[in-house]
Amino acid sequence: MFVVSSLRAHIMHSQRLRNMVSLEVAGWPPKGLFAVIRSPRVDTIPYLSYIMKRPKVLLLTVTALLPLVLVSCIGVGQAASGWSGPTVQDGIIYVASRDGGVVAVNSSNRDVLWFYEMVTTSGGGLACGPTSAPTAIYGTPIVDGDLVYFGTYSGEVYALSTADGEDIWVYPPKGEGYIGAVVGSPVIANGIIYTSSSDGRVYALNATNGKRKWATDHALADKLWTSPAVVGDTLYISTFDGHIHALSVETGELLDWSFQSEAGFASAPVIYEDTIFLGSFDLYLYAIEIGSNVSMWRFPQEKPAGKWFWASPIVNEGVVYAGCLDGKLYAIEAETGEELWEFDAASPIVTSPVLMDNLLTIADESGTVYVFDVSAEFGDEAVPLRAISIGASVRSSFWAQNGLIYIRGEDNSIYVVDVGRGEIVEGWPLSLASEE
Amino acid sequence: MEAWNLIIGNPVLNVLIALSHIFDGSFGLAIIALTIIVRLATWPLNKRQLNSTKALQEMQPKIQELQKKYGKNQQKLQQEMMKLYKEAGVNPLGCLWPMLVQFPIWIALYQAIMRALATTPENLLDLAQRLYSWDIVNQAIPLSSQFLGLDLTQGNIILAIIVGGTMWVQQKMTQAPTVDPRQQSTSRIMLLMMPLMFGFLCLSFPAGLGLYWAVSNMIGIITQYFFTGGWGYLNLRSPLQPTPAKGK
Repeated sequence: MFVVSSLRAHIMHSQRLRNMVSLEVAGWPPKGLFAVIRSPRVDTIPYLSYIMKRPKVLLLTVTALLPLVLVSCIGVGQAASGWSGPTVQDGIIYVASRDGGVVAVNSSNRDVLWFYEMVTTSGGGLACGPTSAPTAIYGTPIVDGDLVYFGTYSGEVYALSTADGEDIWVYPPKGEGYIGAVVGSPVIANGIIYTSSSDGRVYALNATNGKRKWATDHALADKLWTSPAVVGDTLYISTFDGHIHALSVETGELLDWSFQSEAGFASAPVIYEDTIFLGSFDLYLYAIEIGSNVSMWRFPQEKPAGKWFWASPIVNEGVVYAGCLDGKLYAIEAETGEELWEFDAASPIVTSPVLMDNLLTIADESGTVYVFDVSAEFGDEAVPLRAISIGASVRSSFWAQNGLIYIRGEDNSIYVVDVGRGEIVEGWPLSLASEE
Repeated sequence: MEAWNLIIGNPVLNVLIALSHIFDGSFGLAIIALTIIVRLATWPLNKRQLNSTKALQEMQPKIQELQKKYGKNQQKLQQEMMKLYKEAGVNPLGCLWPMLVQFPIWIALYQAIMRALATTPENLLDLAQRLYSWDIVNQAIPLSSQFLGLDLTQGNIILAIIVGGTMWVQQKMTQAPTVDPRQQSTSRIMLLMMPLMFGFLCLSFPAGLGLYWAVSNMIGIITQYFFTGGWGYLNLRSPLQPTPAKGK
């Protein structure tokens, strides 16, 4: 399109200057354009002659044309902007904002208590100098005691004071570089923060002072984007190249058991009664018994699902609930892998379901929140009790507490949904600009 | 945009990923293979372009003669040259049309490389919506961005030099000398500008795209060498010196 416009502009320019190319006679567009390209008609040559005689005009045309065409194509790539979910503790919502950083908001009156702002500086690409952008955060912050922890896409792990947002520690310490981008949520167990990184390593950090306890001595995969799972003294991590590794939480050493699949794993491992449940890029959900080298089952049993099981499933009373990017929510018998029921939301389900008092909640990319009664007390469990539209796409994990679901929409707003009543209690933008 | 993705964008993307699986997960080899496939698919167009180039090369002695004869009278020179082109049945802009037709293919390939590499979580999620439910495609995801020590998601200086160098060679092979000092200046700028620009773009864009350009240039040089029967104007050390015009 740009090429045609550019050629057209130059042809018109040529007309004005010399009044020699009669494109109106030829008919424009497209006949006139084709006339220029196809036919070596003498009356079209002065235009070319004009441009060819002026190196600066030609240079400018070429210089403008190529980068613009390519830059217009670069729209296929989306910048990292993050999709952190909220955590609620003592009436305070901790969530990463698209403005770059973590914000603490009083859930009762929406007051912003503090905002820890972060900016990532990077090479400028086509620009001559470095560029700055808000730091992206994908993992959900975790709160333990009086500290809130999170990892950033710029490759740092932070601990902030819940009271005032002051940074208590940063890993790696400022001035000592970065680890790979942190995409999965960190987990905390026994005073240690465990996080995976895009450099393929797992890090264990002292939650109090941020000192590194250990890091895996080599990259476990090309990159690690999933969250680790800690059970007892073992840490499990799934990889994009199809491995599940088991590591000692004390030393970070690889334990004897690991699992290998032909396809990579898309979701973080979920562990229930010595079985790991997780989704794979081959369009199946797998159940793998810890210690075994073969999977217990894979779901669906007949033909594969429509898309990946991107979000981690949840397991409750022997039933696995798994959302799929094909828009379906599946309820599966954990023991056998047989389908109990399914529901088609018709829009990709990117985030894990949440269960609260027998009410299972999922949200899809179209911005609809569905509530199911898994006890089937009020009818068919496969039919949603409620369907609430929040009007914003949902990719972040959500927080469930006291009958309320806290959701961060892709419009950078927080929505509070009462799942019992099936209505939005509150919704407000997180943008700090709107707060000022 | 949806129609574009349905007809061109997504098929090219899925073929690229399937090729990657065939080449044991090597995305670099998949890019090379797809470049060759695209080159083969567009061979009729390339052949037309090469025919024009070859014909123009063969006409150069006559063109230079005209340039010497009508060096001072540009309008007359253009008219005589057009007459010459018409007599020989050559379209001097014949090389432009095939290039324009290939442009959508290049853009689709570029988009496919960018999408397949999925450098951010958003891109990986977007990729999920574009993949066919072929086993060969889904088992290849996610792709390794490493190829011969190159990170295909990052710009690379060595690849930038290769792309610039091969582009210069390819252009030099086809760029006919001229006696007009202004056209000489334009030719010199073009000869340097394009390789420099693409070299610069290689530093700014993922190396996967640079790899495509490098392979595409090399194929261009090889086909040009065999089709036109040699290195063309590559061995020409300097353009012809303009002959002082004598008044009639």
